[in-house]
Amino acid sequence: MHELSLIQSIIDIVREERVKHGMERVVRVRVVNGALSGAVSDALAFGWECLTQDGELKGVVLDIVDQPLKVACGSCGREFVPEDRHCMPCPACEEILGHDILSGKELYIDEIEADTPED
Amino acid sequence: MSKTVTIVRNVLEANERRAGKLAEYFAQNKILCLNLMSSPGAGKTSLLERTLTDLKGEFKMAVIEGDLQTDNDARRVAATGAQAVQVNTEGGCHLDGSMIEDAISVLDMTGLDILFIENVGNLVCPAEFNLGEDHKVSILSVAEGDDKPEKYPLMFHISSVMLLNKTDLLPYVDFSLEAAAAHARKLNKDIQIFPVSCRAGEGLTPWYDWLRQARVAKK
Repeated sequence: MHELSLIQSIIDIVREERVKHGMERVVRVRVVNGALSGAVSDALAFGWECLTQDGELKGVVLDIVDQPLKVACGSCGREFVPEDRHCMPCPACEEILGHDILSGKELYIDEIEADTPED
Repeated sequence: MSKTVTIVRNVLEANERRAGKLAEYFAQNKILCLNLMSSPGAGKTSLLERTLTDLKGEFKMAVIEGDLQTDNDARRVAATGAQAVQVNTEGGCHLDGSMIEDAISVLDMTGLDILFIENVGNLVCPAEFNLGEDHKVSILSVAEGDDKPEKYPLMFHISSVMLLNKTDLLPYVDFSLEAAAAHARKLNKDIQIFPVSCRAGEGLTPWYDWLRQARVAKK
């Protein structure tokens, strides 16, 4: 439900980076969305479509990369990607509690592809 | 010619900056700030009414009330004698740093020991927006089901405390305190869990003791 405000933040950052790097026209923006970020990728895509209907980012592709949850076992430290987020036994020692999250909470703009003026 | 520029910028960076400034402000003024989150109706306001009344003599406390509409909760909280300010998000699903800045500017923060922020009732969006708080506190009522920490993992992962409220209803609902605790601890082994009934006034002592410790740690 808050994805529209997230898209607005993405648009603000892209505009800033466009000026900073002297980009002529932005072609594609890549965003990494972690499985636990709280943002739904489909809703982000829809928000992007809504907020880029006009203006300088019209037609720009939003490329959303879904980042799976990766944890380190709370008991033996083994790193693994749980198959099921609801029950995550460690493949090495079968511990199910107290895992540390290594990745999956992030939501960030990874890269921007743009046309640049001819040198 | 097209080229790709690596950016790596957090989408929530603007809010994170605000949260950082708020955290600095709370540190300088030695105010313990707690962000209360739950679904609508889990008992955030009831918990505040109890806490503000029972600890009135010990701490100077104030409340920022976040709601989509109405000032019902601010009035309930103010009836305990504590200072309260209402923030209406007009449909927005969470509080963000700028709303807290505005709320603080109208509160009298002098000599305040504890500031409670009652977030908008929602188990998803508020979890993403830091408000400069010392701790996030989540409240789950037993009528909601013991699988909620499993369904909303981020909320319970980032909380220092989970209160399991409405324990007076346990005989009437299928809720296992152990199952709820186990789900919450999967990704948060240090979470403190307190079963309480705000209605009956039961089980609140461990919560108050935790508050006292958190308050001492802030000084």
